[in-house]
Amino acid sequence: MNRRSLVVNFAVLFATLTCATVLALASGASQAGSVTDVDPHKAYGTKSAPITMEVFSDFQCPACKQLFKTTNQPLIDNYVNSGKVYLIHRDFPLPMHAYSRIAARYARAAAQLGKGEQAEKVLFDNQEKWEQSGDVDGTMASVFSAAEMAKIRVVAKGNSLDAPIDKDVALGKGYNVNQTPTTVIHFKGQTYPVVGVVTYDVLHQFLDQLLSQR
Amino acid sequence: MMQSSPLNFRRAVIWLGRLLVGGIFVYAGYAKLVYPNHNLWPWFMLKFSVSANLSTFAFQVESYKVVGAQGASLVAHTLPFVEIVVGLLLLIGWRFRIWATLASAILFGFLCLVTRAYLLHMDINCGCFGTPEPLTIMTVLRDSALALLAVLMTVFAHQEARKPHPWAAPAANS
Repeated sequence: MNRRSLVVNFAVLFATLTCATVLALASGASQAGSVTDVDPHKAYGTKSAPITMEVFSDFQCPACKQLFKTTNQPLIDNYVNSGKVYLIHRDFPLPMHAYSRIAARYARAAAQLGKGEQAEKVLFDNQEKWEQSGDVDGTMASVFSAAEMAKIRVVAKGNSLDAPIDKDVALGKGYNVNQTPTTVIHFKGQTYPVVGVVTYDVLHQFLDQLLSQR
Repeated sequence: MMQSSPLNFRRAVIWLGRLLVGGIFVYAGYAKLVYPNHNLWPWFMLKFSVSANLSTFAFQVESYKVVGAQGASLVAHTLPFVEIVVGLLLLIGWRFRIWATLASAILFGFLCLVTRAYLLHMDINCGCFGTPEPLTIMTVLRDSALALLAVLMTVFAHQEARKPHPWAAPAANS
């Protein structure tokens, strides 16, 4: 086979593979109903916002920490507080992370006291420490008062928080969430699942694009 | 009548390397662009998906703790395209020795990074093919085998280039 034939053959092969892939993978947004089972302590913004974002995350996941530290705050400042986005945090503790469910319980317990954001921040900021030692309680105690910790412990160590965490996990599985973080964006009845760490620059361009279609 | 090319061991390795290394490079570059978010329609969704995938890849590059955030972003936004181009050039076979040498250097670099991460017990994802893939000894072995194939392919290509082509006409007797 001479070189020209080789080039033509590979070009045809590449074009065929590309078309096949595009056809196979072209999956725009899926249709979805409204968002349900929202824990008001884990939701930020107004329910009537045009965009709803459900963030499935695991406190022991490094990528979730990255998302929280780099994207979460500017998102809240620029989109949640201005009524453009309704942000819902969903717990999705992964089985391979030994302490993530414990961390989720403590964060939820703190959220019931209105200290959810503070709890999330201290857990993500100190992730490397408590994931080695398992000392989620000590990590939380470093920022909360003794009285607050007493209330948090009672709730966190009880059984009442397993059901809402399990509901979040079931909801995530309904969206085919299999890694964290996964952000599910709802807009005008369409659902856009986004897997992985999305920088704020990329996210805000997408959100602006969606909002321009209102 | 032309004689057919002799299939010796070196030529077999070169062909195997072209197909395997070239194919894997193309797939690796493509996977980094379209996985894990593969929403390809409409156009703004495609743009967003690719951007999201590249930012996830940048995070995976940063987790190796060799380059900072900006370096990781640069690598993430260039490496997938370099892989696709080099892979295609290997498959096509144009200026083969140049791209084979480059592919070998890239693979050797990957191997060093992956081995370092494994020896340091870093609990990170390989970042090789877009989807999460924990870095284990199998990753190291796989990359070693691929790097070895790429190096052999490159060395043999240079050796074969010094020999006259089997189809070349014999030198005329003076």
